[in-house]
Amino acid sequence: MLEIKDLKSRIGDTEILRGLSLSVNAGEVHAIMGPNGSGKSTLAQVIAGHEDYEVTGGSVTYKGRDLLELDPEIRAREGIFLGFQYPVEIPGVNNAYLLKAALNAKRKHRGEPEIDAFEFLKTAKERMASLGMDPKFLHRGVNEGFSGGEKKRNEILQMAMLEPELAILDETDSGLDIDALKAVAAGVNALRSPERAIILVTHYQRLLDYIQPDFVHVLSGGRIIRSGDKSLALELEAKGYDWVREAVAT
Amino acid sequence: MNQLDTAGIRSIVGRFPTTRDEDWKYTDLAPARDISLRWLDAGATPPAVAGDREVTALTSEIDAHWFVIANGTLTRRPDATGVTIGQLPATDRNDDALAELNAALLREGLRIQVSGTPDKPLGLLFIDTADSVAVSQARVELVLAAHSDVDLVEYHVSQGHAEHFANTELRIDIADHARLRHVRIQSRDRNHVQTAATAITLGRDSSLNMTGFDLGGRLIRNDLDIELAQKGAAAVFDGLYLAGDDQHIDNHTRVDHLVGPAVSRQEYRGILNGRCRCVWNGKVIVHEGADGTDGDQANHNLVLSEKAEIDTKPELEIYADDVKCSHGTTVGQLDETALFYLRSRGLDRRHATQVLTHAFAAGLVSRIPVAAAIQLAEKLVIARLADLIDDPVRNDVTA
Repeated sequence: MLEIKDLKSRIGDTEILRGLSLSVNAGEVHAIMGPNGSGKSTLAQVIAGHEDYEVTGGSVTYKGRDLLELDPEIRAREGIFLGFQYPVEIPGVNNAYLLKAALNAKRKHRGEPEIDAFEFLKTAKERMASLGMDPKFLHRGVNEGFSGGEKKRNEILQMAMLEPELAILDETDSGLDIDALKAVAAGVNALRSPERAIILVTHYQRLLDYIQPDFVHVLSGGRIIRSGDKSLALELEAKGYDWVREAVAT
Repeated sequence: MNQLDTAGIRSIVGRFPTTRDEDWKYTDLAPARDISLRWLDAGATPPAVAGDREVTALTSEIDAHWFVIANGTLTRRPDATGVTIGQLPATDRNDDALAELNAALLREGLRIQVSGTPDKPLGLLFIDTADSVAVSQARVELVLAAHSDVDLVEYHVSQGHAEHFANTELRIDIADHARLRHVRIQSRDRNHVQTAATAITLGRDSSLNMTGFDLGGRLIRNDLDIELAQKGAAAVFDGLYLAGDDQHIDNHTRVDHLVGPAVSRQEYRGILNGRCRCVWNGKVIVHEGADGTDGDQANHNLVLSEKAEIDTKPELEIYADDVKCSHGTTVGQLDETALFYLRSRGLDRRHATQVLTHAFAAGLVSRIPVAAAIQLAEKLVIARLADLIDDPVRNDVTA
């Protein structure tokens, strides 16, 4: 589904990704771990199409197409979803409007009719209930005045409504209390299916207690320095990132 | 109207303020002068008055006691309890050339006195029709009796595509303990020029809550003068201006804090796209002895085009000791982070731009103090924004 080869990217004069390669197939859950500044968020932003990150080398292929030549909105309509580390507050635009606009943009792209208002509300309320969100949030400004946990739940709500083929969750677990973490994990697990792939970008192993990854990669200095199964995450938790860096260096 | 003193009118037009006057530095009244002179040349005929059907279509948008002032003539008046309607005496004016012109050409001035709490908002529809070049004057005085509680909708529209210059004056006296909620909507044709002078005086423990919208017009100059004349008065007023190609919208406000404690708060927001110019000049004067003054003024602008120009200037003059005054102005572009967030959800750049500009405007729309006017204001703002953002020629954001 996603094939990243020798990807190099920089923001301004700072080179962040320095030859990153990663292959993600449908049905898989990948965890990308690494210390701060290793390039985790950059990878997420580059896949979503943020224009501040300049790609200076390598390639990204998504469903057989060159992903890098697509505008961010086309990537979204083609099934890519980025759950933001810092979801943006947009006062004055209500959540329901954004959800509906996003869904309809995707439907239009596929030649499908717009979503029925009744069906939309029903689905949204169901998804919100399972995430432990008050339905009132539908009519509030997007992330406006939301707590950290509410913002992350809102990202998962958007993901649940959009049903992406490739979801990238950037530090979705950061700043969550245990209840919110469980709700978010349940939302992600509900999305798991043989047709979909999920990339979890995380600093800590904690999230992986609730979402079992098929693969764990360690990112350091803009490259994946080690890959393994979920036992790698536990080892990292116990021994710290220096352990991998040293192990790789020797 | 008596025999028109054409030479006298020409002389007044010749004395219109120019950009050499400090208060008119950024606004050139040349189009108003030009229209006036051409109208005089063409025989200064009174312009045609809007038809009943058009008027009814407009007034039916809001359930109100409507006064209709068509090209300066009162053509419809309501019959409402507590509302007394009279005529303003003719006066000679020499305070400035625009006031002089108003006095010289005014066909009838309207005086409205209100007591108690009318069952519906009062509506003032100023409708100007121009099938050929035209000039009109309107003057209204609204007097709110002590303890009255009034909703007011002021609606300026125009018809016909010929050039028109409307010069209007509105004077409002809010007596002690009275409350006025006021919505002002200016949705004129893009050929029209308007100078609108509004003067509001507030009595003891009285309040003004006002939201204004400037959506149309080619050249618009609003002068809003507010006098906090008695203790406990509070004036909260906001304005939104949306300007596109070939529009010039100038809002000059002046608040005189004569005594304290008293409160004034204003926030103006503007969205500019294309070759246009907007001006906001907010003057607050805290007079000697007006201790306990609490004043705040803000002006925020979203500038979507390199061809758009905004001149924003808060002015504060304080001659009292115990005063709390603040001001802030911003001029910015769309928030790129928010834009990317929306695009990452599948909205294209244009849609995302629309959503963000609408949200910026909605912040003021949500403050409309007259419930009956919310729907109309919202509808007009959305339509104007869609036009402002959607036109690919005008919009170099999506380029």
